[in-house]
Amino acid sequence: MMSTVTPANLDLPPENWWRSRTARRFRRHRLAMFGVVMIAVLTIACVLGPYLLPYDQLFIDLRARFAPPMTGGHIFGTDPLGRDVAARLFHAGRISLLVGFCAMLISIVIGTVIGVLSGYYGGRVDAALMRFTDAFLSFPSIFLLLALAAFIRPDPLMITVIIAVTTWMEVARIVSTEVRSLRERDFILAAHMLGLSNRWIMFRELLPNAIGPIIVAATLTVARAILLEAYVSFLGYGIQPPLPSWGNMLNGAQQYLGSAPWLAIVPGIAITLAVTSFNFIGDGLRDALDARSDLS
Amino acid sequence: MATDKTTLFPEISRRKALGLMAATGASLAVPALIGRGSALAAAPDKPTGQFIVGFSQEPTVFNPHLLHIEVDEGVHFAIFDPLFNVDPDGKFTPALAAEVPTVENGGISADGLNWKIKLRDGVKWHDGQPFTAEDVKFTLDLMVEPDFRSWRRAGHDLVRDIKVVSPTEITWRMEKTYAPYPSILASTFIVPKHALGEAADKNTAPFNNAPIGTGAFKWGKRVAGDHIELLANADYFGEGPYLERVIIKYIPDLNVLYTQFKSGDIDITGLQWITPDHYEEAKGLADREVQLVAGSTVESFTLNMGKPQFKDPAVRSALYHAIDKQAIIDALYYGLPTPTETYMPQQSFYYNPDLPKHEFSLEKAKAVLDGAGWLAGGDGVRAKDGVKLAFTCSTTAGNHIREQAQQFIQQSFKDIGVEMTISNLPPAVMWGDYWMTSQFDSVIVGIDFLTGPDPDTSDYFASTSSVATGGAGQNTWQYHSPEVDKLLQEGGNSLVPDERKASYLKLQEVVRNDLPLLPLFQYTTVRGRKKGLTGFTPNVNNRIDTWNIGTWYWEA
Amino acid sequence: MLRYIVGRIGQSLLLLFLVSIIGYFVLLLAPGGPMSQFALTPGISKQDLDRIAEQMGLNRPIIVQYADWLWHLLQGDWGASFRDNRPVLTVILDHLPATLLLMGSATAIAMTLGVWIGIMGAIRRYSIFDYAATVGAMIALSVPTFWFGLIAIYVFSLNLGWFPAGNMYTIGSGSVGDVLWHLVLPASVLALVDVAIWSRYMRTATLDVINQDFIKTARAKGLSPRRVLFKHVVGNALLPMITLAGLQVPALLGGALVTETVFTWPGMGRLFLDSLGYNDYPVVMGLLMFSAVLVLIGNLLADLISAFVDPRIRLA
Repeated sequence: MMSTVTPANLDLPPENWWRSRTARRFRRHRLAMFGVVMIAVLTIACVLGPYLLPYDQLFIDLRARFAPPMTGGHIFGTDPLGRDVAARLFHAGRISLLVGFCAMLISIVIGTVIGVLSGYYGGRVDAALMRFTDAFLSFPSIFLLLALAAFIRPDPLMITVIIAVTTWMEVARIVSTEVRSLRERDFILAAHMLGLSNRWIMFRELLPNAIGPIIVAATLTVARAILLEAYVSFLGYGIQPPLPSWGNMLNGAQQYLGSAPWLAIVPGIAITLAVTSFNFIGDGLRDALDARSDLS
Repeated sequence: MATDKTTLFPEISRRKALGLMAATGASLAVPALIGRGSALAAAPDKPTGQFIVGFSQEPTVFNPHLLHIEVDEGVHFAIFDPLFNVDPDGKFTPALAAEVPTVENGGISADGLNWKIKLRDGVKWHDGQPFTAEDVKFTLDLMVEPDFRSWRRAGHDLVRDIKVVSPTEITWRMEKTYAPYPSILASTFIVPKHALGEAADKNTAPFNNAPIGTGAFKWGKRVAGDHIELLANADYFGEGPYLERVIIKYIPDLNVLYTQFKSGDIDITGLQWITPDHYEEAKGLADREVQLVAGSTVESFTLNMGKPQFKDPAVRSALYHAIDKQAIIDALYYGLPTPTETYMPQQSFYYNPDLPKHEFSLEKAKAVLDGAGWLAGGDGVRAKDGVKLAFTCSTTAGNHIREQAQQFIQQSFKDIGVEMTISNLPPAVMWGDYWMTSQFDSVIVGIDFLTGPDPDTSDYFASTSSVATGGAGQNTWQYHSPEVDKLLQEGGNSLVPDERKASYLKLQEVVRNDLPLLPLFQYTTVRGRKKGLTGFTPNVNNRIDTWNIGTWYWEA
Repeated sequence: MLRYIVGRIGQSLLLLFLVSIIGYFVLLLAPGGPMSQFALTPGISKQDLDRIAEQMGLNRPIIVQYADWLWHLLQGDWGASFRDNRPVLTVILDHLPATLLLMGSATAIAMTLGVWIGIMGAIRRYSIFDYAATVGAMIALSVPTFWFGLIAIYVFSLNLGWFPAGNMYTIGSGSVGDVLWHLVLPASVLALVDVAIWSRYMRTATLDVINQDFIKTARAKGLSPRRVLFKHVVGNALLPMITLAGLQVPALLGGALVTETVFTWPGMGRLFLDSLGYNDYPVVMGLLMFSAVLVLIGNLLADLISAFVDPRIRLA
């Protein structure tokens, strides 16, 4: 499924990388470019947005509760406490994007280490680690995630960690497959003959050559992590108010679906945009890194 | 305490109970429970029709003596009977007992230690077996049986020497005087010895999922996760039943519960009722009666007095001043709850109406703090002697309106230089050791402090009730006051309501003054039912809607 | 073949064992405890709660509790629910039909729609339809299922009034038509992600087959494109589709959980959330194990079918 990357592709210095075939393929991928632009816009909005709005996200005004969008200077209306939904949305975006990104980092580290170890050593190590990975995959991750989240103190750090704990398996599998196929290549055999340590070979030789699929997986994992945060927070076990996240803004929105539908619509669009964009980028990267795609 | 004229049970005027049910429009025609007014349509001669009650939680525990939640009692009251019941006025009315035991009728000795109860004759269990004193003995024994996971032993563990005098008479002795025991007995349902007594493990006996009682309704069937069907008990000894069938429908979402009420799919909204935001609309529905009913739960902002921030009475008083109770009630709770100054429900015989009224004033709050030496530091947060006026506030994650109130209070506190950090927890974490062993700083919580109509609150206020200081109980705010201890002692030692009353009035005054908890309001519930349903009577002492379901019927 | 099957089942059992350890320790090492939900019940005291915990054996070391639980499980005893003392397996099986109905309908919708979109996309490759289907699929994979549910309720239930906003049937009715009417929204919402997956899969499969020689031969023989398409393309793509269906089980179960929550559908997902809320460990554990078994069966079937179809896999 995942294509291998020729080492030459990624050993290029940055200025050449921009002109590499991979980069050109990526730039030609319209959806991926849309994704990049969207993520840039969302990030900027979340970082700068709060400073441009007339309302503070924490400012409560009970007289202005449930103001519809575009009234009283509230572009996206107000929530049940009369807080500006737009201001909360941007603040929530910071949390959601950050949780997604950090969860991805942890997830990639766990997945990569397990994947490299299992792919490199093969045999029993491989079997044991992959069974362990399968065990995690056998839980529908949302069940595992909720079971974990229901019994811990729900602060953003813990949510990030448990999202990572339930998303590293795909990465481990991909890396393991990748490393297993690279292991028999000439340059690794050469490294062995040079007497380099296992650790050196694993993390200095094999890993850089598996970086392409890892990047693709990383992008898709951000998307997945944002989605999972939304699920858990929507169900009330994730990020807790007053700290806003896109997911917890939706928690309770069902109650007001008839009277204040914007409370459900606005954060949902933000989540969908962010997740779609990351998926587009991941898809573009996968195509771009696939050397065969030029041939077809 | 033992005077000749002692009556064991409080006489509370009906006015008191009804007056506080702020009824709306049509719903003023609430029938009195006893002696149904002749103006109302007569009950049918034989059970007719069916009734669908909607609950937002699922009743799952049908053995009334196992650990259960409030909603389970909705089924218990239909199927079982206690020896005597509590009516909305807080008066006891005989059920399986032929008469309510009192000192006057010789049922209870003047010192409250020796009990003799005459039982109703000719009562049959749902399976046709006769009900006798053996069943009562079995039930009382069961409460303290070592292997049985009975949900409550308080009071029952003082019972000694139970003697079955005759099939219709039973006596026992109490180890010591225990004032709340009548209230406990009023919610102790008698279970059949012949059906449960032989079970190898009474915790898992088949009886627990197919209960047999003496009540107005018999167990029909249960479709788990959906509904329970109860059928009329034609041999019922008391009034009713008038309905052929009662369906207890589990609707896990309050919005859907309301929608189903609106559409007529359910006939009455049960536990958790109509959410406050739907009240306005519900009032206007055709062919529906919507009624405001006082709940016995009191919402409060509780402070852990074991923490250095809250040791100073000035801080507690200032925080109370800084809470805009009325805004919370009006805006977030749609004006429904009643502001309160005490933990005692306002319908109680023991309620103290003369407590100082709360005044919302940020200026006063600031002045109090300034006066006590809590001054703002560089970060705007007040501090004194190295203790910063900063703390966390927790509540159960998922209670949206309460979370909104919490964030609102947070903003007010910020205005007076108090930093409150919100740290809400899932229920499992919240009410475990975090609550029980006083690890929290402050908590917003709704608590029902009473046991039925009894005013004893030792479990919440006695110095010996804090787990954190080696006690046992739920004085999780670590409120230790010799005066309170003395008052609780006095109140608990007497069986005379009028004597007890003085102690509890004073107790409320002391608690209001010390403010271990900042009382916010007493809940008001919005209960709706279809027009034509007769018999439904709110009862602050028996919180579940179906406590008198045997007397419900449709007006023809 | 038999050895392969036995080997795979052995592996699955090992996996289940791992799953059980992870699940159990996560649940029991967490703060709180099953008694905490009763803390605020009027009239109950801390002593009562402590005593009951003791009576239930919840104070034993976690290893002992786990061993005890596992030992009973091996004998077919899944334990009893803390809430109503009923056997866990009975509780789960009570909720299973609703979930299976929902998942089954969603899969049926997804397959029908997905296969159609996939084939059309492949036949009209690079057309606007194909492009829209591709982008649409990616978006569908990115929309949170619960949000899609909320929007569906807002549009089709609150505004248009076509379908009910929740529940499985009208109280007192429960006829087949009534259940179907309640089923439309949740099943469609749950199907969304799968439509995307099926259509992607079907597009690739169709493209693979279209370019093969025997199709060209068949068309050269003068068979109508439609017949060729349905006889050969769909026929050839169908078996692997079952494999895919097997692999979709975990995602579908996860989706069912949130869909059931939004639509108050009385299935296993709701049971899971309820049980979490009540700290009903035996049921939570049971559901984790049960869903793991479902997933493993799905995977196992997927594996076996591919092994059956493709003899090379057996050697691996």
